Amino acid sequence: MTADGSSLKPPQAARPVSAGPPASAFEGTGTASRALSERIARRFFQVCAMLAALAAAAVIATLASESALFFMEVSPVRFLTELAWTPLAEEPRFGILPLLAATAQITAGAAVVAFPLGLLTAVYLEYYSDPRAARILTAAVIVLAAVPTVVYGYVALNFVTPALRNVWPSLEAYNGISACLVVGVMILPTVTLLSRSALQAVPPSLTDAGLALGASSARVLLRGILPAASGGIAAALALAVARAAGETMIVTLAAGNQPGLTWSPLEGLRTLTAYIAQASMGDAPSGTMEYRAFFAVASVLFVITYAVHALGRWLAGGRSRRRDAAARARPATAGARR
Amino acid sequence: MKGFRNHGLIGSVCSFAAAVTLAAAVTPIVILLVQAGGVLDFGFLVGTPSRFAAQAGVGPALAGTLWLTLLTAALACPVGVGAAVYFAEYAPRTRAVQAIESAVSNLAGVPPLVFGVTGLALYVRGLGLGPTVLAGGLTLAMLALPTVVVTSKEAIRQVPAGVRAAAYALGATRWEVLRRQVLPAAAPGILTGVTLALARTAGAAAPLLVIGAASFITYAPATPGDLLVALPTQVFAWSARSQPGFAALAAAAGVVLLALLLVLHLASLALRRRLAGAAR
Repeated sequence: MTADGSSLKPPQAARPVSAGPPASAFEGTGTASRALSERIARRFFQVCAMLAALAAAAVIATLASESALFFMEVSPVRFLTELAWTPLAEEPRFGILPLLAATAQITAGAAVVAFPLGLLTAVYLEYYSDPRAARILTAAVIVLAAVPTVVYGYVALNFVTPALRNVWPSLEAYNGISACLVVGVMILPTVTLLSRSALQAVPPSLTDAGLALGASSARVLLRGILPAASGGIAAALALAVARAAGETMIVTLAAGNQPGLTWSPLEGLRTLTAYIAQASMGDAPSGTMEYRAFFAVASVLFVITYAVHALGRWLAGGRSRRRDAAARARPATAGARR
Repeated sequence: MKGFRNHGLIGSVCSFAAAVTLAAAVTPIVILLVQAGGVLDFGFLVGTPSRFAAQAGVGPALAGTLWLTLLTAALACPVGVGAAVYFAEYAPRTRAVQAIESAVSNLAGVPPLVFGVTGLALYVRGLGLGPTVLAGGLTLAMLALPTVVVTSKEAIRQVPAGVRAAAYALGATRWEVLRRQVLPAAAPGILTGVTLALARTAGAAAPLLVIGAASFITYAPATPGDLLVALPTQVFAWSARSQPGFAALAAAAGVVLLALLLVLHLASLALRRRLAGAAR
């Protein structure tokens, strides 16, 4: 890709440091002052980049150092094998599994809601809708993406749960199923919009060729377009899953804070995020195990979401990487046919 | 015409899914408006939280969120855009730089909650700021920064290479090329990214909850040193109360938050139109 600006550098040694009138059509009192503003600009942008890197490093270092203190007292084996997370109990137990299981349940449930709906909506937008309907639907999805998650949490607790309990009276006030549904709605824009851009990247010639060969539109879609877009669709799913796993307000409000390990979606449960949000409201003093426990849980959350997000970005980038590789491999004459 | 002419079974299934998506997008906002209906008035906007649902208002929370958004914009925008310019235009293509760049970019996918936990350690406890508006602003700035960097970098890289080549050919220095050509052309895209980042932080409840936002403060924060209150955490606090009347308050505070985000987006849109006109 030649659009990458960084490949284009100003010509070296094109500007001899000598006195005299400015050599270019650009304003400036002289070469010296232009060279000075050049140096100042470079230094400013460098400092900004260093600050951004510093902020990133601070996030990682804080999590790592407090977690290290946590793991000096609680062995990683205990962390991974105990079946309860009760840092405040008389005999505290620090087993991450119940929290992980709850996060996995909510995330999987949300993906089951959002993935088919988002993908089919994207296919509708790209291949079946008229432009007006597409505009309205896209605008609605963008608005959906802009709604803060605490508002969704409110809707889950005050609308979705009561509605579900009308149908299903044995449902608890705090339950996993309401949280799954609403987190699914929350990640729906991510799935829809990113799947749609994956579909947009499929060359129209593929569709034309399939139809010209007499394939039905269903066959073209299922055997041609969707496989061609699969990398981008997988990326959409990964980025949406990373968001669902880190979602806090919906699960805190709708799924509650039950400490037990449960697989029933009718009961309340406690995700990684809900534990952090609820526990810290009790102002744990610095230096206690309770305080360090947040950082251990936050680190687990960080590693999971960072990895899934990076995977998603890698999958999304894969398409253009493959295209570049293909462009390089193609003989120069092939381009002339276009 | 890119679409398929005959719809068939798959077309019907997709249309149905699209209708469900549309309903899912509209329903939360309708619910919110309906449930907030009786509460929203001028008294609610300027009032303070109260034990009595009928007298409560969002004055302090609204002021808190305005403060936080201003602080986040002031802290994250210059640094984020500056860093994006460095990564897109100046940085050498070494492995070390690319590792730093991708570390910063991937932070955009880390949940807001995690930034709250680090904000608690760094600002509330580390710098000893306590649960103040300033600590909240610094935390939200950390949250906004990766998004600003990623989107600004993307906008800068979309400026055609020919623009730079032409300016260099006329004898411009790198800073002159940036200031006169690249940044004006990228400005609308940068603005979009900044707006998205600010909207995301203005609506973020989780990090503020973690660093200790209050929900029952009867005065509006006048300086960044005052105690932290914000609209999203106020929505949470009222949602979590089971007494009658508080659900409607939470809905009304949610409507105020949405209205604020709408104003932010409209202002950005107006500014973007002007910038796009100026670049032409």
